[in-house]
Amino acid sequence: MTVTITIDDRPYEVPAGATLVDAAKMHAITIPVFCYHPKMNPAGMCRMCLVELGSIAKNRDTGQPELDDNGQPVIRWFPKLQTACTQIVSDGLVVRTQTARVAEARRDILEFILTSHPLDCPICDKGGECPLQNLTMAYGPGESRFSYGDKMHLDKHVPLGELIFLDRERCIQCARCTRFCDEVVGDDVLAFHERGRSLQIVTISDPPFDTKFSGNTTDICPVGALTTADFRFGARPWELDEVPSICPHCPVGCNISASTRLDREAGGKKIIKRVMPRQNEQVNEIWICDKGRFGHHHSRAADRLQRPVIRRGDEFIEVDWQEAYKQIASRLKQADGDVGFLAGPNLSNEDLWELRKLAGLTGKSPRLGIWPATMTGGDVIAQVGVGVGTRLQDMGPESAILVIASDLDEEAPIWWLQVKQAADRGAVVIVANGRQTKLDRYASAVIQYAYGQAVEVLNSFAARARSRRKVARPLVESRVDGYDDLHEALKGTRVPHADAADALLGAENLVILAGGEGLALEDHAELMQAAANLLIITGHVGRANNGLVAVWPGANTQGALDLGFSPEVTADLLANPPAVWVIAGADPVAEDARAAETIAGAEFVVTSTQFLTATALQADVILPRQSFAEREGMFTNGMRRVQRFYAAQGPVGEALPDWTIYAQVGARLKGDKPRLSAGAVMRDITQHVARYAGMSYSRLAQVEPQFPNVGGSDLYYGGTAYANHGGLGVQWATDAEDESARLIVRPVELPDRPAAGDLIAVPVRLLYDRGVLFGPSTLMHRRVPAPYAGLNSQDAAPLGIADGDQITVSIGEHRFELTARVNGRAPVGTVLLPRQLGEFPVPAAPTVCVVHKIEE
Amino acid sequence: MNLLRGFATTIKHVLEEPVTVEYPEQERPVRERFKGRHALKRYDNGLEKCIGCSLCAAACPADAIWVEAAENTDDERYSPGERYAKTYEINMLRCIFCGYCEDACPTEAIVLEHEYRLSFSDRRDAIYTKDRLLDPVPPGGQDTPQITEPGQFDRAIPDMEDPD
Repeated sequence: MTVTITIDDRPYEVPAGATLVDAAKMHAITIPVFCYHPKMNPAGMCRMCLVELGSIAKNRDTGQPELDDNGQPVIRWFPKLQTACTQIVSDGLVVRTQTARVAEARRDILEFILTSHPLDCPICDKGGECPLQNLTMAYGPGESRFSYGDKMHLDKHVPLGELIFLDRERCIQCARCTRFCDEVVGDDVLAFHERGRSLQIVTISDPPFDTKFSGNTTDICPVGALTTADFRFGARPWELDEVPSICPHCPVGCNISASTRLDREAGGKKIIKRVMPRQNEQVNEIWICDKGRFGHHHSRAADRLQRPVIRRGDEFIEVDWQEAYKQIASRLKQADGDVGFLAGPNLSNEDLWELRKLAGLTGKSPRLGIWPATMTGGDVIAQVGVGVGTRLQDMGPESAILVIASDLDEEAPIWWLQVKQAADRGAVVIVANGRQTKLDRYASAVIQYAYGQAVEVLNSFAARARSRRKVARPLVESRVDGYDDLHEALKGTRVPHADAADALLGAENLVILAGGEGLALEDHAELMQAAANLLIITGHVGRANNGLVAVWPGANTQGALDLGFSPEVTADLLANPPAVWVIAGADPVAEDARAAETIAGAEFVVTSTQFLTATALQADVILPRQSFAEREGMFTNGMRRVQRFYAAQGPVGEALPDWTIYAQVGARLKGDKPRLSAGAVMRDITQHVARYAGMSYSRLAQVEPQFPNVGGSDLYYGGTAYANHGGLGVQWATDAEDESARLIVRPVELPDRPAAGDLIAVPVRLLYDRGVLFGPSTLMHRRVPAPYAGLNSQDAAPLGIADGDQITVSIGEHRFELTARVNGRAPVGTVLLPRQLGEFPVPAAPTVCVVHKIEE
Repeated sequence: MNLLRGFATTIKHVLEEPVTVEYPEQERPVRERFKGRHALKRYDNGLEKCIGCSLCAAACPADAIWVEAAENTDDERYSPGERYAKTYEINMLRCIFCGYCEDACPTEAIVLEHEYRLSFSDRRDAIYTKDRLLDPVPPGGQDTPQITEPGQFDRAIPDMEDPD
């Protein structure tokens, strides 16, 4: 639906329902704004967008435009200027943006905004990319009529939490930050305080500014009022080189821009000074979470491994690469195929491919495992993953989103944000988990099941679809195998949440986001299949905004699955350990007690790592791997979008990318020439992996215009998120999108329920943890909780445990000392154990545990 | 006749006061606005005028200036306001002494002075670091970093006055 409006005497076709500022922007007409932001509702606070507005007069009887003596339509102008940001376009709207009246209004507004502005642009972190600076240069008065001496002097250094600083003098009270927190994120953390000239931004949460998205307020702040503690005075914006990159922390795959500059303290090398969002409307729009923004310090941590190290007896000796390669190659030859390979959570596809090639040289059926092995179902995703072009941010009243077994807020914050916004737009959001999560407050229905019964929820929905004739007959009859068995198996299944089921089944689009919380690996395979069953029989596959998303534990778990690695192999490696381990970019020894035992008993262990991890201390050869910042490569995100990242900073020591390391070792095994560039590795992948066939590096680097257009000269409009010059990535199509492919459903068996009366330790994932890559970001340490265990008061009371007590949790022969949290979060019979909070391995799957209070 | 006239010119110049001076024994004073080696200025109390804004580096056509900034605290104050130059370097081999840095400076911290004897036996010596550029502490002033009273030096730009 479009309408025709007239701007500066020229007619334009614009989408109905758009605001006038957006509509003008689509045709490259600038209406300057401060408070308006294309991702938020208009507020009309700053008055910068004033324009002359009118409409074509129509004869009330005939409905025809009235014509003047010259035959031109008569235009009824508003007597005063109107704000363009609050004006929704309608047919016959007439706008003038370039008249003397408008120019004068803009000049006056700017003079007014600047009355108490400190004009300390030289020391302001925003100076150089500041909308207020730019718009003042473009539309402002040359000089002020106000006296400098009359300027209000306010606090310049107000910490809003430890991450963000507020400069009260610079604030122009546009409310973009408070509206972002209220409208977009929904966290009640910032507010206006006082009135008039005393109006100020305050944080009203404890701890202050308690949101995972606080950094985004500094991007959308149109002045330098909000700046980050991380970048504070790090460089001037014009001195920074922007390098397109991909966040390595979670499966969302947010597009980021690494702002780099040479640094004296880093030995004159280029380092990342800050991380900014890079616009990709298909992935993260223009937002990133604070973990991505402030979690980049691992790339230049002082304790990064610099040179290859080998173990001689109890000693570690630095060697050169040739020596390390030689050692590994000779041991791999001796091992005669008895080798296990483990790929970590943020190995790039190039790394994985070279690791796989190396594995292929060591034996006929190489064992390629994924770490962490907590979730599975690569085959299910290949069938019914979300359709190409899926955008959660498009989903509204006609759509339903089911989030199951995942605490999205902690595991994939940007997806959480998108699901939350979908709920705001009216989408049916159903959250099913064994405990309360933050998404519950936006859900149309919350299903709290006993851990272990996640599959039953999906089966009951499928059964409801069967009984309510919501089965997509044409699809099922033409392309689905195994439906008859499923049909039988679903007969008589109880449907305890019929309302939720009906709401879900009534939607036109359905996306399921499935995590792995509270599920052992083999149970997770069942969960994924149960989700696939539901999606397939209801026909929610093979098109955009429909299908399954797995909330993987790693940034490139999807890539590892695509390239032939599997978590089941990891389980097998632990059950039947090989003599030689090659562990790339993972720290299983620290994370899992069983893995630690198994690897300790191995004959020979090779690991590539950024830091001297617990696994590295067990290894015989330790190889320094490059972080995402020093190299190029690509990650495949949780929605199967393959995205490129580029080398941002100079090398650290002699560290090499994993793909080089394993290509070189492979060359020594076979005497072949190793591939010398990441591009060559990618070419090899495109030639051998069918799903990646069309994804040359140049294809992945392609960009197209996006709306709203941010970055560049449009800083005033969208904030300082950066325009995308690195590529939007390519999403591979699932089997469901191929009309000729057959889809498989099967009845899903319910795993045994744990015996009643026992306490079950359920591992949960936290965003802010002490993981290998996040630990070095010391700025964030205050947000990382001390190791704790969540207990229900019903379980805690008989043991005499109160909130805050020191307790021991024993799992098998392992005992952990933790602080108890009895705060109503843990369901009865479970002990919630966050992973990677301390130097103790929380098991990956739910296990029976015993809890004791430590008596003082 | 012509010959005599020629000799007359020669003799006249021989008798004239010479324009050359015996450098380096003798030095000729430079003009007031001569642009020689830079100096980083201090306020009377010893605080550095430079606030590390990097505008000089931005203005420099020869890319000769390198600035890295850091944050002042009242316990460790280098300059008024929040920001000071942690690193300030000028590569004198690159510098063309155009004086744009002086024009760009919002606090009149960098001034091209009259020193022109710049010679180096090592390329690295040509990079003047902050300690070499900074003026000595004026009498009665204190060296940086200083410990200052909270709220005393919270403005980076000295008090501005109305243009008229």
